[in-house]
Amino acid sequence: MTDVVQDQSVIVDRSDEVERIAKKEAWRRRLPILPALLFTIIVTQIPFALSVFYSLTDWNIVSGVDREFIGFGNYGELFGSSLFRQAAWTTVVMTTASVLLSVFFGTLIAILLDRKFFGQGFVRTLLITPFLITPVVAGQTWSTSMLNPQFGVVNWLLERLGKDDPIQFAGQFPTWTIVAVLVWQWTPFMMLIILAGLQGQDPSVLEAARVDGANSRSIFFQITLPQLRPFLELGTLLGSIYLIQVFDHVEVITGGGPGSTNLPYFVFQRSIGGGWEFGQASAFSIVVVIATIIFATLGLRLLSSLLEE
Amino acid sequence: MATVTYDSASRIYPGTEKPAVNELKLDIGDGELLVLVGPSGSGKSTALRMLAGLEFVDKGSILIDDRDVTLTPPQDRDIAMVFQNYALYPNMTVAGNMGFALKQQGVSKEERAKRVMEAAKILDLEEYLDRKPKNLSGGQRQRVAMGRAIVRSPQVFLMDEPLSNLDAKLRVSTRTQLVDLQARLGVTTVYVTHDQVEAMTMGHRVAVLDHGVLQQVDTPRRLYSAPANLFVAGFIGSPAMNLIEADRSGDELHFGSSVVALPADVQADLKASSATRFVIGIRPEHLSNAGGGLNSNVTVVEELGSDAFVHATIQHGGGDVTIVVRIDGETTVSRGDNMPISIDGPVHIFEADSGKRLGTPPE
Repeated sequence: MTDVVQDQSVIVDRSDEVERIAKKEAWRRRLPILPALLFTIIVTQIPFALSVFYSLTDWNIVSGVDREFIGFGNYGELFGSSLFRQAAWTTVVMTTASVLLSVFFGTLIAILLDRKFFGQGFVRTLLITPFLITPVVAGQTWSTSMLNPQFGVVNWLLERLGKDDPIQFAGQFPTWTIVAVLVWQWTPFMMLIILAGLQGQDPSVLEAARVDGANSRSIFFQITLPQLRPFLELGTLLGSIYLIQVFDHVEVITGGGPGSTNLPYFVFQRSIGGGWEFGQASAFSIVVVIATIIFATLGLRLLSSLLEE
Repeated sequence: MATVTYDSASRIYPGTEKPAVNELKLDIGDGELLVLVGPSGSGKSTALRMLAGLEFVDKGSILIDDRDVTLTPPQDRDIAMVFQNYALYPNMTVAGNMGFALKQQGVSKEERAKRVMEAAKILDLEEYLDRKPKNLSGGQRQRVAMGRAIVRSPQVFLMDEPLSNLDAKLRVSTRTQLVDLQARLGVTTVYVTHDQVEAMTMGHRVAVLDHGVLQQVDTPRRLYSAPANLFVAGFIGSPAMNLIEADRSGDELHFGSSVVALPADVQADLKASSATRFVIGIRPEHLSNAGGGLNSNVTVVEELGSDAFVHATIQHGGGDVTIVVRIDGETTVSRGDNMPISIDGPVHIFEADSGKRLGTPPE
């Protein structure tokens, strides 16, 4: 007990042994996720690599002509195509509008829900349902039951209010009709994320702000909103990634009608949707992936800088 | 600078029968540091939050400087509060946190910066003004929370266990700084703690609460030497007062085998009382091992250096009772020793059931 100083020669060096155990432990942790990783590579990365390859070829599946390697020919063609530019612009409008609007409405509803009231759980469940509906069904419901010029509920209501000729929603405002349905479906998702953020707030911080003389308005803008930032960012990011790929709604509501063809729908049209140009379509889809990454990053930056102020 | 008055203020939480704070009557003087102390669930924090305006006052009223603020929202009360977890605004810098209240008042940017700087100087925070709370240590956060309160020069400071998240050593030094700061600023302060040592060392006066009921308000000295009832006697003091139950035998009380000598006023109250069971309260320092009639068996000795606390069992009322005796640190006593003890100081007598004190407390 009293021998504090030890003979140096007796101390065992265990660094090799420790390293060996650490390595073994690291593999023991990696092993369970290997099957999932393998599966992911098979179903996502290999098809992606194949798409990259196809995008460098001229390949019309019905023409009977053999696949021919043409380098970046498809990409060059793509930027000259006014149809592609139109589809790209539609994608930008559709995605930006639906993400921003659903974040806005989602925040509003989340604030209303972030207080105790009778039937809170029931109301929350009801509000989530639009998000749980299959996109095709949502599109179908809106385009026929709600917005149809002959028998849609909305036009019926407008008629009651004194508007004589029905509005051809899908025909007159194709992009914005799709945006409306997307916002209706995605607001609940944003609401859930924002609600989690609101409920994660330290209540004593809000109390401190009240004692410090802040009214509800300044508490929201100076304390709550900045604290919601990571949640708003997450919602925007996830929303952008999903909404840039919207296909079902376009197919069901307008069928790509006047000006509402977005990039995914355009890719569909060029390939199995009747174009049969698989090389070209592959090139478009590669561009969509790159655009998604750029768009999501830019969206995130924009939002962050807005909140920074 | 202001006075604070609780005028029979009660808080009854919805769905509960028993008030969390029950008809609290308290007058706090201008510039006073009053400590609300009690075990958890005693209503001390609720009482503070009522003064802050963060809890409703269901009955009675609360006045700040004779102005009825019972229904005034917190933002219009001109009070500053320090929270247990500090409740700093995570998205703002230290300067932003400290200047927030001034910003709400519409104070100009230059004036704000000036006053934040003054407060930062007092609290040694100048070099941290641009940091976010998450990059500060616990002690620094605590100081920012203090700074946020003093920047405003409010009428009243409210502090809800502001030191309980600090480590033991820092807590003791911060305690002293806080007392000094309060004295310098002269701002009326209501301070909540569950720690009776903190209450005794900091308060000009201490209000002891239990189950929402005010037990006693007095100076620390008087609280210690003349506890108004059994609860206060057991709560104040570390180690706690020895509280030994004794049945009356006629008009006498026995401690072990000996009769407890009682002053005339206690004797008179004992005669007048219809109770049969009493509690004898003796502080550890009022028991002596300098020889005496009572035999005790030492079980544990806690050495503190300057003195030592000896836990020992005595024969009392047909069983073993453990008592704590403070002895000189130089004395050598160890487990298993036989230690003769005697009463060497004031004895407090309480009715066991009502907790009421017998005799008029000494002035």
